[in-house]
Amino acid sequence: MILARNLSVGLSGRTIVEGVSLTARAGELTAIVGPNGSGKTTTLKAIAGELASKGEITLNGHDIRGLEPWQLATRRAVLPQAATIAFPFTVREIVRLGLTVGPNRHAERIDAITAEALAAVDLGGFAGRFYQELSGGEQQRVQLARVLSQIWEPVLDGEPCFLMLDEPVSALDIRHQLTIMQLARRYCEAGGGVIAVMHDLNLTAMFADHMVMMKGGRIERAGPPAEVMTDDAMEAVFGCRMRINGVPASGAPFVLPHTASS
Amino acid sequence: MSLNDAARGPFARGSFLMRSKEARAAGDRTAVARLTLALLVVLSLAALALSVATGASDASALNVIAALLHGTEDTALSVRDRIIVLDIRMPRALLGFLIGAALAMSGAVMQGLFRNPLADPGLVGISAGSALGAVLMIVLGASLPAGLMLALGAFALPAAAFIGGLLTTLLLYRIATRGGQTSVATMLLAGIAIAALAGAATGVLIYMADDKQLRDITFWSLGSLSGMTWAKLFAAGPVILLALLVVPFLSRGLNAITLGEAAAFHMGVKVQRLKYTAVVAVAGAVGASVAVSGGIGFVGIVVPHLLRIVIGPDHRYLLPASALLGGVLMLGADMLARTLVAPAELPIGIITALAGAPFFLWVLLRDRGRNGW
Repeated sequence: MILARNLSVGLSGRTIVEGVSLTARAGELTAIVGPNGSGKTTTLKAIAGELASKGEITLNGHDIRGLEPWQLATRRAVLPQAATIAFPFTVREIVRLGLTVGPNRHAERIDAITAEALAAVDLGGFAGRFYQELSGGEQQRVQLARVLSQIWEPVLDGEPCFLMLDEPVSALDIRHQLTIMQLARRYCEAGGGVIAVMHDLNLTAMFADHMVMMKGGRIERAGPPAEVMTDDAMEAVFGCRMRINGVPASGAPFVLPHTASS
Repeated sequence: MSLNDAARGPFARGSFLMRSKEARAAGDRTAVARLTLALLVVLSLAALALSVATGASDASALNVIAALLHGTEDTALSVRDRIIVLDIRMPRALLGFLIGAALAMSGAVMQGLFRNPLADPGLVGISAGSALGAVLMIVLGASLPAGLMLALGAFALPAAAFIGGLLTTLLLYRIATRGGQTSVATMLLAGIAIAALAGAATGVLIYMADDKQLRDITFWSLGSLSGMTWAKLFAAGPVILLALLVVPFLSRGLNAITLGEAAAFHMGVKVQRLKYTAVVAVAGAVGASVAVSGGIGFVGIVVPHLLRIVIGPDHRYLLPASALLGGVLMLGADMLARTLVAPAELPIGIITALAGAPFFLWVLLRDRGRNGW
């Protein structure tokens, strides 16, 4: 479980995130949504231990500031928004970085995990391609395969591991958006946890167990999507009057941009 | 229970045949890298042997070794040969190899750290600082206390260059570090400013210099492996060797940092310690090299670039391979420098630039549009 209590982050004298408290449980997909500049990515970076922050952050009960980078790396992996690479790495070499940097628990299974991770993001057969020659969406999936292989076991030594994904489907076509969200779902079902910064509210409603809405560096609403996603929340958080609807069959709420009024 | 552990057929990755076939198709350059390394080890030994065996004089290394083995102590000719082989060629070959290795490996480290294939040790102020130190010593050395100069002897110039390079690098590192975080971009920009400052100071000194000092400065700046002695080897060698031994431990961290500093941290790398170790190791290795040999360009950029084309950018193989190929190329260039205009000698910096630049351009033109640049 990841627990953040009263989290505040300032960047160059400006407070970006203030008084954020959130809980991400193992077995659950926690989605952080909100308008641009609402502090979603900053919150994720603080929880990942990458940004200095005030407040309490624990990962499976350990204060993350007391953990060494390699210890953190065995419990959580982070997918950044975009990554450019200056050197001609092959796809396989990029994915293997997730397995060969830091403590290596899978020395004998590196090849197998690399192949399975690539298959999981629908990039089987891409191992020999150069990363720089891939499209943006393909690069994003290669990075996801790397991140996935870093914490390949969703539960390690009895403790859950966490995938932290910053806009994991932003560059993907609709089919691969579903592939990746289902992958995250399965990771949770296997006992791990996922925290994802999301922009697509419909995908979030379909796949998230817990939804955190941020605005202006604070949390406005938090809870299951069916409870959090309301007409009122859309206006309060996104500043946009829209109607939330439910698909009768599953009951998952969705929002149509068509319903926006002024 | 791992994710997606789909049931796979027993033939999927069992046999050696399937594995090696897969490796080639699947972007695994490990086998090529290992083969290249083995080849480079053999080449290095050959280059060292050849370098000791050849020279402007006809002294025969084989005769000298035979004489040593038999313990014979005879004619004046063999004494001359022994001095040429053991006291001139041997330290020169060893130190030349070390310098080439230091420059090439340092280039690879800087390129990894700055995530830029064009970075070289000059970027962190080492070259400018070393040059300033050396020129300071050449021009103002005469006004230092005679006792100090006597004590330093032949080491005065290398020591000044080494200290100049190291001080500039540490200063840059301090400037670029704020709140425990070193900004690689700030370091790059500040490096340009500091190099300009050091260049201006060097310019003032050159303006002040007399004719003899000017010649010394020019010759030093062209780079040369002449005048290598066992004493210089023992002075610069350990620093270079230490760096050559420490740097390979940074390979995994440098691999990770090619994805960005944040990503490297996420993967468990102590990024700040990596940066500090890399910068100090490079400053030491290059400072010591430049101190004894002067400015020898192009090795640090060309060697890692060529190797990346062949074995890929994985630093676990790239760093040792760069060191070996750097050493081999340096000895090759030195053999040309010694024999082309024998009995005179060309500054080796001219050879490395003359051979390196067109070759580099050819590779760039050939690969234009491929490999991402």
